[in-house]
Amino acid sequence: MDNNIDFKDLWKQQAVSPPNIEELLSKMKDFKRVSLRKLVITNVLLVATIVFIISIWYYYQPEFISTKIGIILTILAMVIYLFSYNKLVGFYKTIDGTQSNSEYLQKLISIKEKQQFLQSTMLSLYFILLGSGLCLYMYEYTSRMTTFGGIFTYVVMLGWVGFAWFYLRPKEIKKEQARVNGLIAKFEDVNKQLSANG
Amino acid sequence: MEFGELYKSYWQKIFRLCMGYVNDYDIAQDMAQETFIIVWQKLHTYRNEASIGTWIFRIASNNCLRQIEKEKRFPKSELPINITEEKHYSLEPQIQFLYKCIAELPETDRIIISLELEDVKQAEIANIVGLSEANTRVKIHRIKEKLTQKFKENGQ
Repeated sequence: MDNNIDFKDLWKQQAVSPPNIEELLSKMKDFKRVSLRKLVITNVLLVATIVFIISIWYYYQPEFISTKIGIILTILAMVIYLFSYNKLVGFYKTIDGTQSNSEYLQKLISIKEKQQFLQSTMLSLYFILLGSGLCLYMYEYTSRMTTFGGIFTYVVMLGWVGFAWFYLRPKEIKKEQARVNGLIAKFEDVNKQLSANG
Repeated sequence: MEFGELYKSYWQKIFRLCMGYVNDYDIAQDMAQETFIIVWQKLHTYRNEASIGTWIFRIASNNCLRQIEKEKRFPKSELPINITEEKHYSLEPQIQFLYKCIAELPETDRIIISLELEDVKQAEIANIVGLSEANTRVKIHRIKEKLTQKFKENGQ
């Protein structure tokens, strides 16, 4: 029991005076501002892009239905991206830090699992919509070109879409998965510390 | 309960909990601040179902666990040992050793023993961590044994 008392005594000798409360309060304001700023910037950027695309429709009055469908698909891609991004931010808002550790860990694990799903599925959907939207959109303009010009344009475009689909997308997904999977594994490991007896 | 009052009476305790968790003065200070930011944001949701201490310790320990997400920022083993502490305080080696040993325990054990050393009741610790009281008691016992052993090995 001697050890017991010793530890407590040692433990409490680690003293530090609290920083000024004003400093903390100003930090809180910054903290709020920064986390809000990122959300606002992403939303504003994507909404601006969507408005830009719509204005193209409005000013250039495309004739083909394919062009219009293409525009809609492209916009849809961005809306979906925006939706999943905001949803992800929302997940973190629902987490309640006043739960017990084991409940908190379970919640973290479930959020990470949702994040994993959202990221891989939504990213694929985003690429499919964007790629097919672009192909449809370009059809009206390439049909006015020479056959060679049209084919050339599509080859270049499909080359780019293919590169994004077969190279960028899996790379991005893999990177994110590795990170999120690592976190899930670690959280589960910590959670196991609580369920195992000792 | 007023925020300023809580801040004054709990800062030390929360800081020590974080310090036991990471054994890094600067990071512990950041974590303690983060904890109080959450306390400040959530204070209006506090209903007296748990004691305010339990409530704050839950927030603090969950925030510690959240540290796992940020851990790649500082691969701990690569940091030069004790440099940060010495910069601020020249604590007795024994105190430093205690914190070092605690920070090397499994994550939840760090939280449990920190709370125990902070004189939090075992029933409350169980409530904070989410274990049964019996389990908590066993765990505390084992962790103390481990610490004693380490102190002996180190000739402290």
